[in-house]
Amino acid sequence: MLIQLLTNKYPGMRLWLSQRLSAIVMAIYIVLVVMLLIIFRPANFNAWHALMSPIWFRLVTFVFFVSLFIHAWLGVKDVFEDYIFNLKLRAYLQIIVDVLLVVYLIWSSFILWNI
Amino acid sequence: MVNQIKFSIYRYNPDTDKKPYMQDYAISLRDEDHMLLDALIRIKEHDETLSMRKSCREGVCGSDAMNINGKNGLACITKLSDLEQPIVLRPMPGLPVIRDLVVDMTQFFENYNSVKPYLINNDPPPETERLQSPADRAKLDGLYECILCGACTTACPSFWWHPDKFVGPAGLLQANRFIMDSRDQATEERLENLEDPYRLYRCHNIMNCVEVCPKKLNPNAAIANIKDVKIARARETKIAKKSIPIKSL
Repeated sequence: MLIQLLTNKYPGMRLWLSQRLSAIVMAIYIVLVVMLLIIFRPANFNAWHALMSPIWFRLVTFVFFVSLFIHAWLGVKDVFEDYIFNLKLRAYLQIIVDVLLVVYLIWSSFILWNI
Repeated sequence: MVNQIKFSIYRYNPDTDKKPYMQDYAISLRDEDHMLLDALIRIKEHDETLSMRKSCREGVCGSDAMNINGKNGLACITKLSDLEQPIVLRPMPGLPVIRDLVVDMTQFFENYNSVKPYLINNDPPPETERLQSPADRAKLDGLYECILCGACTTACPSFWWHPDKFVGPAGLLQANRFIMDSRDQATEERLENLEDPYRLYRCHNIMNCVEVCPKKLNPNAAIANIKDVKIARARETKIAKKSIPIKSL
């Protein structure tokens, strides 16, 4: 179904759809977290720790971070393509952003699995 | 009754001017002058060096599109009474200026031509005409009325940044007009033609095109529809693929 639109055959649709799908994942996660906070009302470190510790919650949070970084990568890429006309400068800036996002992903995974 | 109106108009003659400048005018109108184009014609009576395009003077030909107080529009259907003074007139942004308010629309029409804005149907032509049901014909409403004035495309920042890559709202409206046409047989090719990351997907939905269209059309909705059609066809393909073995049984 939608999966084939995320392949090389659809280079434009792939980027556009990835941005929308990652936005949907983030929106669902935010609703989920707000609901959990309303239900459990964690007021101290132990309560927060208990909330964040289950494996399923860590996995879901990890999926959220992956979506966030995909979304950010696509958004920044669009901005660079629109406003940075020097191709060398654009490539360097994109590499910086790519490296930063990978570091953020590793960092967030590290935090998640050390709770 | 004499009514005087102030203007500030972009002037540029590449043969004599090193760079563009704004020229002020104060012009007396006659009772029958209601539209911006009427006032421009009065100005031309005093200063015939001012260049602009005009033809039908009733919002049909799209010749006199220009930037009016910062917003693209047609001079012939813009009421003088709706405009703040001094009325600032500039050529449409994003296209090379030939002279004064006249822009070179070559890129605009190249983009328009790139979507093959004509019916593609390989069946032998019938004796009279290719018929459509009223429901199919209704799908073209809001798409076929475009007069190609260029107001939408030249108001679009994505076109300013990528004029040779992004088709622009006017071209995409026409692409959708033929994608939606029940008589057209080239839907797949048309969708493929818009598949690279720039031609269609550079639209960031800021809707300048919708705001400025003098015919009150909605290119943004047309662009969204093309994406919807693409997704719907991908789903159909999947269903068709699934159904093949069942049929072969």
